[in-house]
Amino acid sequence: MAQLSDLEYLKLSKGRRLGYRLGRFFAKIPKSTLQVFQRIWEFLKLCVTTVGREAKDIITTFVHGDWKTKLSYLVMGFGCLARGQILRGLLFLLFEIVFIGYMVLSGGYWLSMMPSLGKVGPTEEYNEIYDAYVHTYNDNSFQILLYSVLTIFFIIAFIYTWRVNIRQNKMAEKILASGKKLKSSKEDLRSMVDESFHKTLLSLPLTGIIIFTVLPIIFMVLVAFTNYDGAHDGYINNLFHWVGLDNFNTMLNWTNASGTQSYAATFGEILSWTLMWAFFATLTNYFLGMFVAMAINKKGIKGKKLWRTILVMTIAIPQFISLLYVSKMFAKDGIVNGALMSLGWITKALPFWEDATWARVSVIIINIWIGIPYLMLMATGILMNIPADLYESARIDGANPWQQYTRITLPYMLFITGPYLLTSFTGNMNNFNVIFFLTGGAPTNPAASSASGSVGYTDLLITWLFKITTGPESKYYLASVVGIMVFVVVALISLIVYNVLPSIKNEEDFQ
Amino acid sequence: MSETSMKRHMGLRASRTLANTLIYILLIAISIIWLIPFFCIVLQSFRVESTWQVGYVAPKVWGLDNYQKLFATDFPRWYMNTFIISVFTALLQTVIVLCMSYTLSRFRFKMRKPLMRFMLILGMFPGMLTMIILYRVLKDLGLTQANAVPGLILVYVASSGMGYYVSKGFFDTIPKSLDEAARVDGATRFQVLRKIILPLSKPIVIYTVLTAFMGPWGDYVFARYISFGASAGMNVAVGLYNWLTPDQINNNYTLFCAGGVLVAIPVTLLFLFLQKYYVEGVTGGAVKG
Amino acid sequence: MKKILAIVLAAVLALSMVSFASASSLAGEYDIKVWVADAVVDLTEAQIKRFNETNEDGIKFNYTIEKMGEGDAASSMVLDVEAGADIYCFAQDQLSRLLTAKALAKLGTKAAEFVTANYDADSVASVTVDGTMYAYPLTADNGYFMYYDKSVIPDEDVDSLEKLIEDCEKAGKYFSFDLKNVWYSAGFFFGDVGCTSSWVMDADGNAKGVVDNFNSDKGLVALKGMKKLLDSDAWNNSSEVSSFESNSAIVVSGTWGSTTAKQILGDNLGVADLPSYNVDGNDYHIGSFFGFKLMGIKPQEDAVKNAALNKLAQYLTGKECSLERHAENGWGPANLEAQADEAVKADPILAAVYAQKEYGQVQLAISGAWWNIGNVIADEAKDATDEEGLKQVLVNYENKINESLKLDANALLFVGAWNGWNNADENDTYYLKDGSLTLDVPESDYMGGRIVKPADWGTDKGFAQVTTGAELIKDLGADNPDNNIVFAEPGNYTVTWDGEAITIVKN
Repeated sequence: MAQLSDLEYLKLSKGRRLGYRLGRFFAKIPKSTLQVFQRIWEFLKLCVTTVGREAKDIITTFVHGDWKTKLSYLVMGFGCLARGQILRGLLFLLFEIVFIGYMVLSGGYWLSMMPSLGKVGPTEEYNEIYDAYVHTYNDNSFQILLYSVLTIFFIIAFIYTWRVNIRQNKMAEKILASGKKLKSSKEDLRSMVDESFHKTLLSLPLTGIIIFTVLPIIFMVLVAFTNYDGAHDGYINNLFHWVGLDNFNTMLNWTNASGTQSYAATFGEILSWTLMWAFFATLTNYFLGMFVAMAINKKGIKGKKLWRTILVMTIAIPQFISLLYVSKMFAKDGIVNGALMSLGWITKALPFWEDATWARVSVIIINIWIGIPYLMLMATGILMNIPADLYESARIDGANPWQQYTRITLPYMLFITGPYLLTSFTGNMNNFNVIFFLTGGAPTNPAASSASGSVGYTDLLITWLFKITTGPESKYYLASVVGIMVFVVVALISLIVYNVLPSIKNEEDFQ
Repeated sequence: MSETSMKRHMGLRASRTLANTLIYILLIAISIIWLIPFFCIVLQSFRVESTWQVGYVAPKVWGLDNYQKLFATDFPRWYMNTFIISVFTALLQTVIVLCMSYTLSRFRFKMRKPLMRFMLILGMFPGMLTMIILYRVLKDLGLTQANAVPGLILVYVASSGMGYYVSKGFFDTIPKSLDEAARVDGATRFQVLRKIILPLSKPIVIYTVLTAFMGPWGDYVFARYISFGASAGMNVAVGLYNWLTPDQINNNYTLFCAGGVLVAIPVTLLFLFLQKYYVEGVTGGAVKG
Repeated sequence: MKKILAIVLAAVLALSMVSFASASSLAGEYDIKVWVADAVVDLTEAQIKRFNETNEDGIKFNYTIEKMGEGDAASSMVLDVEAGADIYCFAQDQLSRLLTAKALAKLGTKAAEFVTANYDADSVASVTVDGTMYAYPLTADNGYFMYYDKSVIPDEDVDSLEKLIEDCEKAGKYFSFDLKNVWYSAGFFFGDVGCTSSWVMDADGNAKGVVDNFNSDKGLVALKGMKKLLDSDAWNNSSEVSSFESNSAIVVSGTWGSTTAKQILGDNLGVADLPSYNVDGNDYHIGSFFGFKLMGIKPQEDAVKNAALNKLAQYLTGKECSLERHAENGWGPANLEAQADEAVKADPILAAVYAQKEYGQVQLAISGAWWNIGNVIADEAKDATDEEGLKQVLVNYENKINESLKLDANALLFVGAWNGWNNADENDTYYLKDGSLTLDVPESDYMGGRIVKPADWGTDKGFAQVTTGAELIKDLGADNPDNNIVFAEPGNYTVTWDGEAITIVKN
């Protein structure tokens, strides 16, 4: 696709502009892919050169440094202590002691077990005296994997700290050589709330994220390369082991020998519904939410707070209560069917949850009930921020309400909530609660249900994941592979949207 | 005023009245649809003639029996647990989120962009997957089953730094010149945050507290893992949901409804009073977010 | 020095063994966690308290009782066996899952003898897998039958599925039958039609093979019967007796619903065994599963505690406790003495369960995968428009079973009727995943079949000749182009495949 000049581009109609941008995006894919590889290559080169430079710096510091610096290579923080920076020195030293202690006491063991993930499995022995089977539990693959990942984290942190320790020595020597004074412990403390305040602020949140988000994610990615499942829990029944890419092979095989549906085909089916669901759920909520907000905000409408509060009830009341009840309301023998029948509008019950299409439409519609309030609240604030004189001048120009909406309100909303639309799309892709409590995935999809748990027509990838882990065979390794694939899909969509979206924002700037 | 313009004016007024009437009708219809399920749940909670699910809405015999019975069960315990979790999560999570978002909004340091990109990518992994491992970690720390309350607080709070987007957006709207003026006057960064930024951030603080407080009331899947059958460590969602299992539903369905009503009260009240701040917070955040 | 130490140690050990052997005392305090269903929490607490006071071994349990439905126990247990209960109740269909997770301690020799002597024979079979027992039978009442509303359904109609459907349709009422759950829908296959589905499981909870003939002409008849209900507007997929409150006239459910059903319908409540359906002029009574609730013990690292827990399980599933559970909750005991009690015998609900048991299949260990495979039969059959469609449902079903068996390179398949080769109706298929399989070959005209490799299922030619035990089969000579195997005499045979040769041994 040929690139257009700005002037040519601006001459296009809106629809064609979007088409042009999409076309450009896809035309750029080969080039972008190449760029990605180039970047990776550059990154690798950068890594190598950085490591080289660091190594060189480490060596030269050692060669040129005084004895305090030299000793700091072995005893971290010695240089700081010797030069009177007691607080820093103590912290360095403490860290080193803790690290060495940990490595000797347990870290070394975990690392040594990592390649095998455990050698001795559980045993069982009959005790004749008590007529009982006695169980002995030995290695624990799960813990080995978990703690060896943790140990690697710790080692990386140690190397980094050791490096900082050396750099500080070098800098301290330089500062002293130039005749200035080193920072005292008191000054160090003060800088924590001043120049380095951001480090203080970030330390707690980042520690939490590393331990409770990054570490588990790395662990789960590693699980995809093992045979960890209900029959290999790593401790009580069988150890689990590395299996290489076997699980990915199973997952990506399109055909099964016995003619049942393969995982790849099931994944494809669920993915297409997940995308469909996310699209409609986002779109309906967005426009209807905006519409309701405009209705409530309209001049002359009384009881604004009351209307809002009523709508907000669906946010305030936990979903496990409201959705479970709504689900029952729409059942074949539920009160909705009962009411419709007693009114004589229908003669036989509507299959809200029994038929695939009905169920899909039903969840999208009921999701409006859950989703509108969030958007209504957000839109309320944004709409109030639109300068009133924009509408005033539009009215003077003779614009009718519809024109006002399409020319002012909608572009303004889109401009401001563009990024929100994307996060709400990916959020809906992973909207566990609505599906889990409303349908639990039902109605069952017979074709997809062979080896993949009881897969239903309304199952999203995220609920499928849940079913795989809690299903009869608890295939954690498979869930992990699916999780990685979900990540790839979400990342891809975000990439596409981010590439198309910014130009929308720029273009819709108000003239 | 000329006759024609008079007419036009009246026409406008008439059409506005008509439009408003239509909107009222619409809003009333929406309100009814929105409230029916809650209304039904409340009615069910007052039903005393039977304890299982029924096909009618209005109770035949009214009474408070279900609410009385609630206090003979473990429900007060679950309620207390959830309340404690919510209060602590709300406080700690707010601190963490504000630290994170304030830093990313106000400071320019080398790792800022990579950090934000990294967290964006992290957020694309389905969190469902990490539940098993978080369970094991908490178990090793002794924070499961009857001790699930601190365990849940820890997990909710620990990862909350990832949700900095909205409040960062809000901080971005506060002019930077304010900080700079104060810095020139010799204030430390910390003093800037405490004396200048925080007083201006009431909406976003309240918004963060509110959302953090609401989360734990509805968490079912993870909370069930962590409490692992121990009633003493359950939150309301897990405890109440157990009443819907096949062996209990016929005895406890109306009890579930009564429990649900009590669970809904605090959050609804909070929303009622803090709605204004919620709107300001989410709007402020979304404008730049 | 080391030697001396070793001798001393050995002596001490031997002495302690002797002292244990003579006393083998179980006296002591044990901390235990117990999972039972909501309905019996208080009762179980009283029973354990009584056990603490009355047992002669000096055992004292410091117990924690937690509510855990029999259906949920297994899913919690497999999540974390370590944190699970020491003694817990579960429904029999969860057995293979618990075996896979190694969440059940094997019963010792004496304990197994105790179970054989004191419990209902079917329930004993249900806790036995591959010759080993894994739990104590708690109840023998886990079947289903029909509750109906006498004001809608005339008593004379309860024997016919067609008439029941018609009555419901006429009255605008629902017929609630949880057919999307194969535990219920398998009833259509089991009853008079005579299909079977029984699994050969090993001690790890893995399926070694299956004897299953749903995919046959008999199965097709069953499916045609089921289709009548599936196609009716009256069908409601539920097994909750509370459905009577929302327009149901019939609910197929089990004993657990009896109290609620009585409260809802009062004198209008009718209880009966399941009806018959009519296909091509023949009546077939609907069968059912007949299952058990079991009490299992978690594997222990301490032999003494395990032994003490066995004592407790024996007490809790014994006569006194079983009768208490029957009196309070209507649970039908598995304990023989308790079954003989007058109060149990006179119970009308249990009578309905036992009447239905006549048409039922006793539920033994079943592969966990089967539930998901079978649950979709109803969905698929509802969508089928003609006979071909129904046949396809059964073919899909069989394919999925093959898939779930994960037949490996050494797998063999026994095709043919060991009791009547020429009669396609009697076509039973035995799968042999790996290792050995025991076959019953009854007296018939042609006691044979053919062994094929899984990949050759479509072909007619048999896979291999028997190498060891050839004297047990007829020599068909040159007149055997398909490599058939025909047994010389009826009997019980074990067929083993070691990857190279087939060995047949007569038992």
